[in-house]
Amino acid sequence: MKKIALAIALAFAAGAASTAQAQEKSIRISGFGAKSGVVRSFGINGEAAMLAAADQINKAGGVKLADGSKARIVVDYYDDRCTAEEGISVIRRIAGTDSLVAVGPTCSNVAEPLFGILQKKVDDKGDSGLQMPVFTDVAIKVGLARISEWAFRNVPNEMTMYSSVFYWLRGKHPQAKTVYGGVEEDFAHSRATWHVVMKDRATANNYTLLGESKWLLNDTNFATQVREMKKANADVVAISAHPFTTCGVLKEMQRQGVKPKVLIGLTSSSSMETMQGCAKQAEGMIIPTSYAPVNKEAKAASDATAKFKGSADLHSMAAWENMFILKSVMEDMKISGAKAEVQADRRKIRDGLAKLRTTPGLLGVNSRTEDREADKPYLFVQAKGGQWVVIHNPL
Amino acid sequence: MDFYFGLAQLIGVHTLLGLSAYVVLLTGQVSLAQAGFFAIGAYVAAMLTVLAGWHLVPALGAAALTGATTACAVGFPALRVKGLMLVIATLAFGEGVRLFFFNFDYQIARGDVKVGPLGGEGFRQIRFFPENGWTTLEVMLFIWIFVLLVMALLWWLDRSRYGAVLRAVGEDELAAQSAGINLTAVKVSAITLGGAIAALGGGLYAHYATHIEHLSFGILLATFAIAYPIVGGLASVFGTLAAVLFVQGFLVEGLRDLGDWRNLLFGALIVLAMNLRPRGFLDAGNLRAIKRLFWGGGRGAP
Repeated sequence: MKKIALAIALAFAAGAASTAQAQEKSIRISGFGAKSGVVRSFGINGEAAMLAAADQINKAGGVKLADGSKARIVVDYYDDRCTAEEGISVIRRIAGTDSLVAVGPTCSNVAEPLFGILQKKVDDKGDSGLQMPVFTDVAIKVGLARISEWAFRNVPNEMTMYSSVFYWLRGKHPQAKTVYGGVEEDFAHSRATWHVVMKDRATANNYTLLGESKWLLNDTNFATQVREMKKANADVVAISAHPFTTCGVLKEMQRQGVKPKVLIGLTSSSSMETMQGCAKQAEGMIIPTSYAPVNKEAKAASDATAKFKGSADLHSMAAWENMFILKSVMEDMKISGAKAEVQADRRKIRDGLAKLRTTPGLLGVNSRTEDREADKPYLFVQAKGGQWVVIHNPL
Repeated sequence: MDFYFGLAQLIGVHTLLGLSAYVVLLTGQVSLAQAGFFAIGAYVAAMLTVLAGWHLVPALGAAALTGATTACAVGFPALRVKGLMLVIATLAFGEGVRLFFFNFDYQIARGDVKVGPLGGEGFRQIRFFPENGWTTLEVMLFIWIFVLLVMALLWWLDRSRYGAVLRAVGEDELAAQSAGINLTAVKVSAITLGGAIAALGGGLYAHYATHIEHLSFGILLATFAIAYPIVGGLASVFGTLAAVLFVQGFLVEGLRDLGDWRNLLFGALIVLAMNLRPRGFLDAGNLRAIKRLFWGGGRGAP
């Protein structure tokens, strides 16, 4: 009889515990990006970083709500396959859930239409655009957040970074005077970075531009482009391309014996994918990046992300930072976390993000600009022996 | 609900794309140029609303007219060749159009910003719907009015003498020619009509997406265009709609949560569907069965 009573008591206790767990408050943050296709690693790493950050926040008690209670963060992640159509569907789907804010997308060609369907100006009654805060971690093409006042980005400022790179090169390699560019022409980020940023910054620092070679994201043969590059015989070769074609070009450069004095890469290529694809050929390549495991916090973030099967780079660590920034904003703006007040909470988060002038980052303090962009600390890394090694801190 | 209305918008746009290929397929011609006409419609309609300040309806009319004119001009030389040669010729046209827009810059100053197509960076801020306060439901209804009009037109054409001529050419060119049918006129008219429908779909797509670029109009889109009527079946316009619902509603959206498995399943399910339904989802037998179910009897099936 005692055994039966004990079993019943245990069953009640278990039931009570599960009820308490079910009643535990939660708030949803949705990530989205490319988890398939050529740039799938960005989505996979971004999701891992978001999950790792949420795990750490939840272990520390979660997010404090307006009524003083705590809520744990729930993260879900959607694959947009780096296509505009799917990105739009995904953000509409997220907006239809109780998710308070979206973190993404990966690709700039998705960010542009996606920001376009958001309301352009807050409180514009005549604009029926979607009212959902989006806090971008990866899509890095210059100046996208100005498309909508609901769009925010925590991506590095490439204009500042490459300006600094070319300025630094003048002192470090005074004999280098000419530049040749290689650009992955059909990808919004790489194209804009070459045509708007690298080219402009190189000439502003008194480099002579000798020409440019173009290829496409899905190209696998770069013989002609590298032949043009070889013919130009420039001191500096700047490659504005993602890891897949960067490696293809570097291997072709090795085959044709093209050895510039200085090799510069695209921010997005300062990742493990480049090392896994062509560590030997990338040896010596210099890239400015907003992440490197140079301090305790940055290393811890990298380790935590690795536990969720992701690797740390400038993009995934922006997703990590976003989660902590959002926690802080949600607490400062006193969101209710109630399912019935999702839209009001979204608005509070948007207003909170708009107010920010600085945010904590893994490499130091990030500045926020009036047009909702970030100005992040950065370092120069160089490929050495299969690793990205910090060679210069310009700040 | 907004998500479902948004999805219905996309399904509507893809249905128009599929129907544009359906008309051409009725004559037995496989055209991969539909993505090119779709791109032309997208850029023309977007330029007229954003740069010229037109209302969307006349802009769509102009887009459809441009698409039809281009298709007619392309149709004469392209339809001189048949089979695989035609596939290559139309593919080359589609790629040509894509590369044209890849290099097409035409921007004007609007206040402190420049608007208009900017080559590889695309054409942003095509915000006719949100700027005019249209809700997602209203946009969906607007798109579907066009879809239903086009479906009704094609359904009616299919039952007219012209429809019979199209199918006759598709079934056996030699027999059709022997019966006095002008093959060139029939084929060119079909591709012209297809061009107009594709351009109309493109115009709607540009305003659905708010941003267009050359990458959106590549070989993948051309493949989808031709796949919809083939997977859906050529017996009726409803086959194309069924295929779009299957691909966009189920394969793309329904399986999104499967992550990497989605891509694998996508191809496998298409192959499976074509094996199970080699004549498409809606063949003549299905249509007869549906008619019997709703109206009784079995007469009058195409």
